[in-house]
Amino acid sequence: MRHAGFTWHDGALLAQGLGVSLGLFVGTFLIGLVLGSAAAVVRHFRVPALGALLHTALELLRNSPVLVQLFLVFFGVPALIHQPLTPVFAAGLTLSANTAAFVYFIAVAGLDAVGREQVEAARAFGLSRAQLVRHILGPQAAAFAVAPLVGLAVNQLQVTSLVSVIGVIDLTKAGDILNLRTLRPFAVWAIVGALYFAAAKTLTLLGNRWERRLRAHAPPLGL
Amino acid sequence: MIAVEGVVKRFGAHTVLDGVSLTVAPGEVVTILGSSGSGKSTLIRCVNGLETLDGGRISVDGLDVADPRQLAQARRLSATVFQLFNLYPHMTVLRNLTLAPELVLKRPKAEVEGQARALLASVGLAGKANSYPGQLSGGQRQRVGICRALAMNPRYLLLDEVTSALDPEMTAEVLAILGRLATQGTTMLFVTHEVEFARRISTRIVFLDQGRLIVDLPTDQFFAVDGGLAHPRIHQFLSKMAPSSTAPAAPVAEMPA
Amino acid sequence: MPFDITVLTPHLDTLLAGALLTAEVCALGIAAAFALAMALGLLAVGGGWAGRLARLYVDVFRNVPFVVQVFFLFYGLPEVGVYIDAFWTGVLALGLVGGAYGSDVVRSGILAIEPGVVEAAKVSGLSRSAIIRRIILPIALRTALRPLGSVFVNLVLSSSILSMITLDEVTGTARGVASETYRPFEVYAFLLAAYAGLTYALSLGIDALHRRLNRHMTANGAPKRAANRAAGGWA
Repeated sequence: MRHAGFTWHDGALLAQGLGVSLGLFVGTFLIGLVLGSAAAVVRHFRVPALGALLHTALELLRNSPVLVQLFLVFFGVPALIHQPLTPVFAAGLTLSANTAAFVYFIAVAGLDAVGREQVEAARAFGLSRAQLVRHILGPQAAAFAVAPLVGLAVNQLQVTSLVSVIGVIDLTKAGDILNLRTLRPFAVWAIVGALYFAAAKTLTLLGNRWERRLRAHAPPLGL
Repeated sequence: MIAVEGVVKRFGAHTVLDGVSLTVAPGEVVTILGSSGSGKSTLIRCVNGLETLDGGRISVDGLDVADPRQLAQARRLSATVFQLFNLYPHMTVLRNLTLAPELVLKRPKAEVEGQARALLASVGLAGKANSYPGQLSGGQRQRVGICRALAMNPRYLLLDEVTSALDPEMTAEVLAILGRLATQGTTMLFVTHEVEFARRISTRIVFLDQGRLIVDLPTDQFFAVDGGLAHPRIHQFLSKMAPSSTAPAAPVAEMPA
Repeated sequence: MPFDITVLTPHLDTLLAGALLTAEVCALGIAAAFALAMALGLLAVGGGWAGRLARLYVDVFRNVPFVVQVFFLFYGLPEVGVYIDAFWTGVLALGLVGGAYGSDVVRSGILAIEPGVVEAAKVSGLSRSAIIRRIILPIALRTALRPLGSVFVNLVLSSSILSMITLDEVTGTARGVASETYRPFEVYAFLLAAYAGLTYALSLGIDALHRRLNRHMTANGAPKRAANRAAGGWA
């Protein structure tokens, strides 16, 4: 294929976009991981009002389109509070919350998977709730949750592509810009797709490797 | 006639069948005995084409099971009853019986259904025609499995440890039916642990040990002190599995039909 | 300006029209995805070139963002001479990605079938196509119904992205309403709740269907305790 019209500049643009996408992904995924896990712990200990509220909000987040969530945060919230939000901030906020929702449900399943007997034994020995989470529930729930979390990570990486709609110059937006200049959408979108694909496969590979290491050290559940 | 000639079967480095030969002529009831790992089930699975051969030949009424087209025809001549029943869980009992006769033998639906209901009645399951396998007990499921096999009007009935997954009461139910089939002249090739039962209904007994055929004898000779029992391996096996069989034959008790 | 949901009232007609279009494109997309998922799921279980190709296809469509897939189809295909309108591009995109995710589910469902049941079908002389049509797919789909349903519900959520290719489905329509009313918060909050309500209702329906189809099912007709007792080994 003749790459007439494609220059090294374009490569730089794409690389920059990819960097933004990856950065946004890593940041929001980590925040979402923390928030979602915290919410799951709250639910696990059956905190009355807060638990139910969180559950409803997170259920809402995972059952609605991310695009609409982005519009709500970027267009809707500023209209309500009379303050503008930068695209990156709005994107970060939305994606963190969205990720937290999915992490919550995975973490809840992970916590539930740890046998009741262990919790009872730990409590009988006088472990506090914090110690219970840190030493018993946390590690085992984490081992259980790693595989679905890797899948979620790959998914959330792709979801970052939507932030291009609110003006963030990520990989998809870079593709858009490139398109306007070169008018070669077939090639441009194929290349952008290939870059996302490579990033996703790398993520899966790293995730699987980490999962193997985690499983090597973690004892089997319920033993 | 089922002709097994010098059959060799390997799973990886492990040779499960090492040059086994035997025949089953129409009207015979042949039982294959042997300990776990002796290759009994594998042999039956080679006859109905579920396993491919690494050596030797198996033919059913002259049809070579190694050839796909001939195998398809051979499969119409035999029917198999499985240890784990393998009923179609998403179909009613009646449909389990009528599926193959309609689709494979191309028999008319009314005729097939009529025969199916008669078969179910003969094993005491007339009221279960519209039930699903999941609603039946183990013994009932195996009885359905037998009916499903018989609905094909097979020339040869292959039975692979059909009572091993049943408790004693259900085992008795099923053995009663099989005993009746044997006396009616159905040609059967059995793999089983039920030594006493085999002794009652078989015409011939074949003993496999570690993939090799040790003896192939008519039933009385198999259990005779100067016949099968003369082999140390067989004697050892029978002492463990059915201690009374190493003694002279006891009078046969009638089993409820 | 305080939150005031009533600003949407005069625009409900428009939103409803958009919702109808969403329903149409999703219904067709889901149908296409279902057919593709079954075909690919069957292929992906097998070996050989077809199996490898099927698994590669699934891999590609699962690891590229949907919006990029949509842009590729809508803007890229005309460049090589294929012209499809926005609606059918939407159906195609949903079908292709839904087929990919769905095929993984179907594949798991097929692999979960008790092998003995398929063996029983084989030895009774049933043809390959009869075994697939009457034994494998009916059982696999009963197991796979809930996760497959979840894939289809996600397609409904993904359809919002089709607003990016000038399709006037409900999200695209909502954007218009938002700019007309200058009340984006109310509009998008309402839209969010509407999508969530719809997916919730769909999930309930799928759960009910799953329960109904599986009410008689066990693995192979064998009692569970007996399955543990069955002898292993080569005999």
